[in-house]
Amino acid sequence: MMLPSRTFLTAALLSLVPLAVLVVADTRPDTRSDARVASTASGRPALPAAGTYSLYELGSAWHDQQGRRLTLDSLRGRPRLLAMIYTHCTSTCPLALAEMKRVEAATDPRLGLVLVSLDPDRDTPRVLATYAASHGLDPSRWTLLAGSDADVRELAASLGVRYRRLGPDELAHSNTLTLLDPSGHVVHQQQGLDEHDETIRAARALLSIDDRP
Amino acid sequence: MLTHRSFLLALAVAVIPAPASAARVARANRTTLAGGMARITGGVYRPLYATRGAPRTRVATFALDRMPVTRGSFLQFVTAHPQWRRGAIRPVFAEAAYLADWPAATSAGDSTDSRRPVTGISWFAARAYCAAQDKRLPTVDEWEYAASASETRRHASDDTAFRRRLLALYAARKPERPPVAGRGLPNMYGVYDLHGVVWEWTLDFNSVVVGDDSRTAGSGQDARDHHLFCASAAIGATDPSDFAAFARSAVRAGLTARSTVRGVGFRCALDLPG
Repeated sequence: MMLPSRTFLTAALLSLVPLAVLVVADTRPDTRSDARVASTASGRPALPAAGTYSLYELGSAWHDQQGRRLTLDSLRGRPRLLAMIYTHCTSTCPLALAEMKRVEAATDPRLGLVLVSLDPDRDTPRVLATYAASHGLDPSRWTLLAGSDADVRELAASLGVRYRRLGPDELAHSNTLTLLDPSGHVVHQQQGLDEHDETIRAARALLSIDDRP
Repeated sequence: MLTHRSFLLALAVAVIPAPASAARVARANRTTLAGGMARITGGVYRPLYATRGAPRTRVATFALDRMPVTRGSFLQFVTAHPQWRRGAIRPVFAEAAYLADWPAATSAGDSTDSRRPVTGISWFAARAYCAAQDKRLPTVDEWEYAASASETRRHASDDTAFRRRLLALYAARKPERPPVAGRGLPNMYGVYDLHGVVWEWTLDFNSVVVGDDSRTAGSGQDARDHHLFCASAAIGATDPSDFAAFARSAVRAGLTARSTVRGVGFRCALDLPG
């Protein structure tokens, strides 16, 4: 090969771009045949198909803002909207809470709202209680959960939530809102902070399924 | 797409010389522990993604399996722990394609197949396997730190020839039929197959917090990232020319804990006193 090394490098790098795309295409999880049942065009969530799973089967144990010990399974029985946050976050995280509150305001009280801390070292049940009080989170609708590092990692990994500690006071994390049916099946996921209309539609549809005799 | 792959492969094979005395050097340097693990002496490294101005990341001394977990070893695991067999595993822990390429739930194939790395296993299953050996999955930092060693250098990720070789290895992989583990040259820690055979699960694979769209090269500066991710500090790629690291990062970003992907295997790690 008589190519100058610079040309070689450029060619090699350029040819890697499709490789990276290919890699992602190869590994993208199959979300269609699976339990991430997307809302239909009408906004009515499809009922989970046979063979799908409940997030609540993870079986991990947590403490809520009142210091009570509970398993994920005890969240069964009502639809829930769940987000993973941390309370020391002062930058853009309040936007995630604001997004949850928008859904709260637009749905009836049967929809429960769950905030799971990504920072279990600092977000003790007492800190979570203070946070809930200072943000006016009604305990009849809001559940704030603290758990072990391993259980936080497991829940986030299951939900597709990505996070990384950047320093002692800061975590970077994806803003993902997950809507769960009363059995814990994932019915809808909102990525980012500007699609709450879709989440509200999916939540209302889920509640209306409940209304049917 | 295939044309590009073949092109890259041909280019790489034609230009990159194989390291001549690498095997000898690797033998001289490695420290092997019992149980098929290698000691990875701690140090600092620069992750692909970091906050601007952040110091380099410290990795403590740890032990890492010298080879990826094989189908044969995984068969022993599912034999002892039937709840992790294909057909028995609960759907919350794996997608439907779990171990789909095995002839049967308790057969990993012939003796050659048994020595191939196991793939098509979820993060949950990999984690359970390691726990059953009193081990754990390596973190991304640990894995990347160990994998930045070449046959002759501890920190080779800034070595252009090493990087080119990695890209060639990635392009040449056969995810549907990975080769028998331990065939290639070990790196200077005595660890085999970190690059040549399969992608590998890590404990915190979901710690990639920039856009996974490879067309923006994961700069983290995309406006789209700012509402997708909560972070006040600017996170960016520390070395935009490290395409092999981008490829690994993109694979991790495409996974969830239930994913069962052909071509994604794992190995285990263990804490060691520094």
